[in-house]
Amino acid sequence: MERIEAASLVLRVKSVRKLYGALEAIRNVSLDVATNEFVSILGPSGCGKSTLLMMVAGVVDKSAGEISINDAPVTGPRPDIGVVFQQPVLLPWRTVLDNVLFPIELLKASRAKYTERAMELLAMAKIHDFADHLPRQLSGGMRQRVSICRALIHDPGILLMDEPFSALDAITRDEMGVELSRIWQANRKTVLFVTHSIREAAFLSDRVIVMGRRPATIVEEVKIELPRPRDIALMESEPFNSYVRRLRKAIEASHAH
Amino acid sequence: MLTDARKKFLDLLWPILISVLMIAGWELIVRALGVRSIILPSPSRIVETLIERHDLLLANLWPSLYLTVIGFALSVGGGILVAVLITYSSFLRRGFYPIIIVSQVVPKISIAPLFIVWFGTGAVSCLLLAFLITFFPMTINSALGFQSIDEDIHLMARTFMASPWQVFWKIRMPNALPHIFGGMKISITLAIIGVIVSEFVASQQGIGYLIKLAGGMLDTPLMMASITILSIAGLLLYGLIALVEQRAVYWQKSSDISGSAGG
Ligand SMILES: Nc1ncnc2c1ncn2[C@@H]1O[C@H](COP(=O)(O)OP(=O)(O)OP(=O)(O)O)[C@@H](O)[C@H]1O
Ligand SMILES: [Mg+2]
Repeated sequence: MERIEAASLVLRVKSVRKLYGALEAIRNVSLDVATNEFVSILGPSGCGKSTLLMMVAGVVDKSAGEISINDAPVTGPRPDIGVVFQQPVLLPWRTVLDNVLFPIELLKASRAKYTERAMELLAMAKIHDFADHLPRQLSGGMRQRVSICRALIHDPGILLMDEPFSALDAITRDEMGVELSRIWQANRKTVLFVTHSIREAAFLSDRVIVMGRRPATIVEEVKIELPRPRDIALMESEPFNSYVRRLRKAIEASHAH
Repeated sequence: MLTDARKKFLDLLWPILISVLMIAGWELIVRALGVRSIILPSPSRIVETLIERHDLLLANLWPSLYLTVIGFALSVGGGILVAVLITYSSFLRRGFYPIIIVSQVVPKISIAPLFIVWFGTGAVSCLLLAFLITFFPMTINSALGFQSIDEDIHLMARTFMASPWQVFWKIRMPNALPHIFGGMKISITLAIIGVIVSEFVASQQGIGYLIKLAGGMLDTPLMMASITILSIAGLLLYGLIALVEQRAVYWQKSSDISGSAGG
């Protein structure tokens, strides 16, 4: 494993452990993420991926270890983090635009100042025509796009995504992957992305971290050195598929434990 | 769009048509069989009474409506307040929620005579009974609205550093709104029942009193006219709430809106 130079290190998770009562969800996980790096966490269901992400977001307490962002320990939720959940979690009484501006309101920033940015984000996600629609008038994929825009509205340095596309059908899912890759290309962020999908992880990431069964530990780390920008054709290419095979092997090995 | 409008039209047309047929049938049967109006007045006779005695009817409608609206307003305000307390105090929730729910088994109408013993005949007793029967459905519905929030929504709000105050006004309150309106629609009809029943036993005025008085004099047309005017007033009050609901709860399809758990 290569070490990230100190200067570009943004997120550090060191020897983190999580107990839910007697249940050990995470055992000794360490990982570093560099500025503007896209890192995916791949692991079986129930291994503690969401728990890890929520600990980084500062909304779940850890049992032991350290988590720091730019050398400052994480003690609670912070304004420089944006989170996208598995479900869109939109407020049904707010229009698309108002849902995107929700964090701005909570952070007591000026709505007027951010409205333009919200519209730009919606345009980037190709849903600006629906700015004044209610969530129930949108498809699942569109809702998840809104939730991505919401996570980006306050321009956080770090984006945490917890299986954001797992509720979507396979076709929409691939499409959303390409969209996200494009949005990320235009809007560089440090991303920690949790997924079940090997192809999704390989397609999106600079680096993929494979976790084993609960209690979670890191079993493998794979750097994905594919050119960017990436498009859907890449998924048919041999280099891509060889990464997929390598990741699959790592997962199978972890299951054999 | 066209089919939508057509569907709405048909939805209205059938009940109206059937009502008209039923009223016409009633009129015909009463006339054909020569039923005496003391037993069953014809619809035309009821309308006649409504027109002839509108002074008396309206003079008694106002006090009833007045008490209904005040009792209703008190229970809406009180119910929402108690619901908020229940939501934020686990002591109150665990201590009083079960009591509130079990107390629903008591038929509250049966308490009316007790109120006369305590508060005498008059507005206070009427108001209390209206309040008593509407307060619980209002409280239970509102409390459900404040509490039935997806865990994910709480988590999302926490990651964006929402304060408890913001959670209340921006999440709990709008989430409760449809339930509050559900409670209001149940409560308004119950408030009318409460006032009328208490007027039967504890008042010298109001539609309830008039119905009892007319019954005592075997003036069936007047009784029927009283019931009619009361029903119209009830329908208008309910319609008013439903109208405000449609505006306030704009994010739900009107077909989704319905009164939830009754009392
Ligand atoms: N609040 C909690 N209280 C108790 N146990 C919990 C809690 N949250 C998670 N767990 C347990 O911790 C383990 C890890 O859960 P977590 O949700 O982090 O898994 P995951 O990797 O995200 O799974 P999935 O891929 O299915 O989303 C699970 O066994 C779960 O039962
Ligand atoms: Mg999860």
